[in-house]
Amino acid sequence: MTTLQDSPASSGQSLAQLPVARRDSVWRRFRRASPFALIYSAAILIFYTIIFIIPFGTGIWLAFQNWDFITNPKFVGLRNFTKAFTDQYFWLALQKTVLFSVVEISLGLTIALLFALALSQIIGKWQNIYLSLYYLPVITPLVVSLYLWRWLYRPTGGAFNTLLGSLGLPEQPFLASPQQALWAITVVIIWAHLGTGIVLFLAGINDVPESLFEAARLDGAGFWQSFYKITLPLIRPVLVYQMVVSVIGTVQMFEAFFLIPGPGFSTRTLALYTYELGFRALNLGYGAAVSLIIFVILLGATVFQLRRWQIEWEH
Amino acid sequence: MATTADSPLRPTPISPFRRWLISGRWSKTVVFLILAFFSFAMFYPFIWLLFSSFKTGADIVSLPVTLLPKKWTLSAYLMVMDPTRANLPIAYVNSIIVTSGTVISVLITSSMGGFIFARLEFPGRDYLFYFVLSTTMVPFLTLLIPLYIVMRELNLLNSLWGVWVPSIFSSFGVFLCRQFVYGIPRELYDAAKIDGSGDFGIYRNIILPLTKPILSALAIFVFLGSFNAYLWPLVILNEEKKLTLPLIIARMANRFGGTDYQAVMAGSVLVSIPPLIVFFIFQKNFVRGIALTGLKG
Repeated sequence: MTTLQDSPASSGQSLAQLPVARRDSVWRRFRRASPFALIYSAAILIFYTIIFIIPFGTGIWLAFQNWDFITNPKFVGLRNFTKAFTDQYFWLALQKTVLFSVVEISLGLTIALLFALALSQIIGKWQNIYLSLYYLPVITPLVVSLYLWRWLYRPTGGAFNTLLGSLGLPEQPFLASPQQALWAITVVIIWAHLGTGIVLFLAGINDVPESLFEAARLDGAGFWQSFYKITLPLIRPVLVYQMVVSVIGTVQMFEAFFLIPGPGFSTRTLALYTYELGFRALNLGYGAAVSLIIFVILLGATVFQLRRWQIEWEH
Repeated sequence: MATTADSPLRPTPISPFRRWLISGRWSKTVVFLILAFFSFAMFYPFIWLLFSSFKTGADIVSLPVTLLPKKWTLSAYLMVMDPTRANLPIAYVNSIIVTSGTVISVLITSSMGGFIFARLEFPGRDYLFYFVLSTTMVPFLTLLIPLYIVMRELNLLNSLWGVWVPSIFSSFGVFLCRQFVYGIPRELYDAAKIDGSGDFGIYRNIILPLTKPILSALAIFVFLGSFNAYLWPLVILNEEKKLTLPLIIARMANRFGGTDYQAVMAGSVLVSIPPLIVFFIFQKNFVRGIALTGLKG
């Protein structure tokens, strides 16, 4: 009600009085705002202060300290960061992270796209049935999937080696081998996340107007040609979204490397390294520094992807 | 032209098989079969999970390994339900408490936030919204160690509160609901305002019922995320009686992993049931939710 009475008065002010009117208008706007909105805003602000601002600030502060939870924190300047760059375990973890992330995303998204493309050829009830089947691993708790696959991967008596044996192929050590463990885990994660990509891509493909394919068919375009020329450009936003999200997700993947690790450091990624530094070695300062480096890497990767794809978009 | 059979006016009869081959419909059938094969391959690990959970301890490690149990038994299920051997029932209660708490709080705070940031006016509203949105730029891993320290200061370690508190609000949920509220005609809000409704009344009576589709989609995502969460509960909880289901599965794998893997399998089956039920009940909402959430870009 006050809104209706106030606004004609304030708009009728002369120019000379405007600065004054503007100054108390912030207060007036506050008083006019509903208590509901103000209480909510205060709550969300307090929440993000506790859950985000303070931890983020603490994390940055911590990255310049040495602290083990027991003795007093000691300021060490940039030493935690310079240490990371000469620490061979950091580089090893970074290498594992990048390998895992790149292979998981490129393979996972390609397979998901092929599945979505195949599913788009099937209409009606069966599309939904297949979709639900492919989505099952996404719904299953990842911890369950990991222990299940570890069981199937067993070197002797595992389901996969039994299968290989019956096909006359040599048995593989899978998780027990430093060379294969990372890829064995990658396969599990591709399997576990495939459904998300398929659902999104299929929704994108189903959104492409049928008339475009019709026109292409009349012009004599084949299936793959219309895929490259019509489907792919039109679902590019979905692809970019899924790629950005996947990078963020794979770099932070933790459970797999924590619960079913390969021997030695063969599957120790940055996420696991951060956890171990913080909660096992109690090297909190260094752990915070490594996790800040992860932040910078992810931010860079996200901006890079968005810009790269945006540029190609415009052409 | 010599015989009537060769006459162009009377085409030679084509077998149904050849007609099907020529029509091009076979490509659909092939696609269908390939998809059927791969869906079986995708499902294959779950078949092992299910059958192994009905095996005996001797059966599961015997060679050569067989898919089907030699003797069907429920002993693995009884083992994990036995409070002296595994704390699965308690973990069930813990998981339900944390997950339902998270889902309810996120639904309330997101729908309120969506309404407030889309329709109500107050100074700094948009700055606050962009700040909330920008928090998603920092990966959780970066906040892990310092957030643990904050929770330690708040005395929330080793309690379910500590698991729940960081997920009371969801910036993704607020963003989603704000987009959705923009789609609700402004006139509805103005009309209710003129009728003398307060803002909370409008939220309660008009916005909340109208945002139901997006809230049910959000509920599924939040449920799965919270129920399946591993890293944060791992950091916060350590007392056996307070663990959530994914954590208890990991403990069971350490305890029974050597000789009683069938118990791990039985526990896994029991842990997978709630997400499956939720998914199949809300499946329609879920597919619609993906369209609504604008995840399609």
